[in-house]
Amino acid sequence: MSRIFNADHGLMRWRKSRTWVIACLIILCALEISGCSMMGKPPTEALANAELRLRAASEARAAEFAPMDLQSAREKLEGSKQAIAAKRYEDARRLAESAQVEAELAEVKAETEIMRRAAEELQKGIDALATDAERGSRKSLSK
Amino acid sequence: MNRDNTLVDRWEFWAALPLLAVISVGCGAVRNPALERARDAYQRARHDPEVVGRAAVSLDKAGQTLEQAERAWTKEKDVTEAEHLAYIAEKRVEIARATARRRLAADEIQQLKSKRE
Repeated sequence: MSRIFNADHGLMRWRKSRTWVIACLIILCALEISGCSMMGKPPTEALANAELRLRAASEARAAEFAPMDLQSAREKLEGSKQAIAAKRYEDARRLAESAQVEAELAEVKAETEIMRRAAEELQKGIDALATDAERGSRKSLSK
Repeated sequence: MNRDNTLVDRWEFWAALPLLAVISVGCGAVRNPALERARDAYQRARHDPEVVGRAAVSLDKAGQTLEQAERAWTKEKDVTEAEHLAYIAEKRVEIARATARRRLAADEIQQLKSKRE
């Protein structure tokens, strides 16, 4: 009787340990999956910032005055989106941050170029006025 | 049994010597070109009175990013992040330089306008 009981007990123990192993495996799998997604969330904020900055750069006529920086920013934004699709969230964040800062640079460069040209135009206008005035005074002197 | 062996006579000493040298060189000279470039660019901008005078805020931003890069490099030992932050810092220095030039141009415009009148 006790022997039967013992055998039964052994079987139960074996079954128990098997369920434990399976449970552990399930937990491990769950941790693996959730751990992956917990370690890296899609960098939505960084991406949104980069997109905003790129739009601002376009508005500042960066396509005309800082095309290389704008192009590079666009490529990095595209790369960031692809990295998100491939669930490489760290890469995606870095690419979005790089895109943002490059777009910012493109914007400032474009603004600077526009300002510089405006200053040049103004200088030309003043020079023209000065030469006109000079000619005028010479004319009045020669008369 | 020669008990008057000095440290220099022991083979372990000579074996340990190159090892120590390798370790000390390894610790002292782990350099990162990206980080050095960013550091260099930042220092040059810091010594440029035009940038310091006209784009101090942008330059501070660059400095903060550079600090983050240094931290990632020395404390967190995260090479990828350190290089990424170094790149951002370098771009921020460029932004500061461009901002300084933009403000210079704006000032010029202001002066020329008052001259014209």
